[in-house]
Amino acid sequence: MGKKNLSYKEAITEIEEILGQLENNELDVDELSEKVKRVSVLVTLCKEKLHNTEQEIDKILKEMDNN
Amino acid sequence: MAVKLQNDSQCLTLLPMNERLKLSELNGLVKKAVSESFTAPIWVIAEISELKTNRSGHCYLVLIEKDPNGDTVVAQARATIWSYTFRMLKPYFETTTGQQLIEGLKVLVSVSVEFHELYGYSLNIRDIDPTYTLGDMARRRIEIIARLKADGVADMNKELELPLVPQKIAVISSPTAAGYQDFVDQLVKNQQGFKFHLKLFPAIMQGNQAETSIIGALEQIYLYEDFFDAVVIIRGGGSQADLSCFDNYNLAYFITQFPLPVITGIGHEKDDSIVDLVAHTRLKTPTAVAEFLIGVAANFEVKLDGLKDGFMNGVDERLSEASKNIDQLARVLTPLTREKLAKKRGQLNPMVWKIDNSVKRYIKLRNIQLERKEEFIRHDFLFFLQRRFRHLEKISRQLTGSLLKVNVTKFEQLERKWQRTEKLARKKTSESRHYLDLSFQVAMLTDPYKILARGYSITTFGGHALKNIENIDINAVIHTRLSKGSLISEVKIINLEN
Repeated sequence: MGKKNLSYKEAITEIEEILGQLENNELDVDELSEKVKRVSVLVTLCKEKLHNTEQEIDKILKEMDNN
Repeated sequence: MAVKLQNDSQCLTLLPMNERLKLSELNGLVKKAVSESFTAPIWVIAEISELKTNRSGHCYLVLIEKDPNGDTVVAQARATIWSYTFRMLKPYFETTTGQQLIEGLKVLVSVSVEFHELYGYSLNIRDIDPTYTLGDMARRRIEIIARLKADGVADMNKELELPLVPQKIAVISSPTAAGYQDFVDQLVKNQQGFKFHLKLFPAIMQGNQAETSIIGALEQIYLYEDFFDAVVIIRGGGSQADLSCFDNYNLAYFITQFPLPVITGIGHEKDDSIVDLVAHTRLKTPTAVAEFLIGVAANFEVKLDGLKDGFMNGVDERLSEASKNIDQLARVLTPLTREKLAKKRGQLNPMVWKIDNSVKRYIKLRNIQLERKEEFIRHDFLFFLQRRFRHLEKISRQLTGSLLKVNVTKFEQLERKWQRTEKLARKKTSESRHYLDLSFQVAMLTDPYKILARGYSITTFGGHALKNIENIDINAVIHTRLSKGSLISEVKIINLEN
């Protein structure tokens, strides 16, 4: 499963891949629920990254100020 | 001009060789010669080396000329622009060139040559031709661009990939510039609520120090290359004009070699500076850069939402398709199933009847077998009981027989004992009788009365025969029995006889 560090590019690529599979009828109906979960996780991760402060980044920025 | 000069020099040479002049007189002569030689203003090409204005608005400059390599100063002159001229020339020059009138520029100026006894040689600038500067700058720009292209580096920063959403931004700006604060506010308070992480790397953004200062800031950012998504170079709020520092080969070259995409917003309304040309993304103002960054994030979010919606719609479609298929299958299946069921039921009915019968038959058969078995068991049991009974009877008889035998034996023994006892008793009786006869004869001999008659007496004391002297005291009353009577006497004397 995706970690916090998943890049936007990786997320978008994976979503596009899943969408492509769906459009090409490569997805079995039984796989859908799993894929829906995965897409929703990826979208949520991206949204969080877009809108929320990442503590790790703030920490690095603070360290820069101290140098 | 040459003719005039020659005239003047002729005039100077007329002075007597041994005459001594005061410095002021000499300077006066020079001033006269100069003013007579340069009666009209002259257009001269020079580079501004120094430029400052004083409080009254006069402008003081140092003009220089460098050798073709640009290394050595080969000529120099002080220059002035009086305030009333400067007030007109400056805006004229700057609006025409889009370039502040500053040090480092090459200018074509109309000057009057002056000499002052105290201050010496100087040029008074009356006019300026901005087109020359424009041309010179353009030429220099063209040269620099050509050099960058020849180096093969001009597009290198453009070839870098800007992250899908640049959020970690290194900002190069003057910290005090209004444009910088606006930029920060705009990004921090963006309506969509995107999060941007900004870090300022302060630099001087105009004049001759800008080149080294901006390169210094880039070197600082380079230390955090892995952390940042992009570099933003912004400049705003200050003069619109002084941008020549961005037409700088070294700075431009540094940017082409920088590993992070550089986005510019250096407030240039007209031509792009060379820094703009080599930058990854060129925007006009800090505000435009902020809008761009927010726009990139917004586009990403739109794309993300679009993909998500597209996916969800696709999923819905797939599901409704699947459910439609199922419905259709169900519609086909129902009558088919019913038919099959009916058919099967038809096949089942005789089978049920058959099964029913055979089950019944089977049960009946088992019942008969059971009854038979029961009978057998009952018979066996009776037989067994009879046998046991007979056996018991036999035992009982045997027991009675042996009991009787035991009793008879006992009786015979008793009888024998009895006979023996009787015999013994008879014998004992005859023996006893014989003994009695004998005893009688003896008793007859020892009859006390007969003994008394023979002279013996019996004395008693207290009812007991007195056989001994010891139990009697003096004065004791004693009875004496004799043959034919008795005596009662009192003891008077006791003689102990040994």
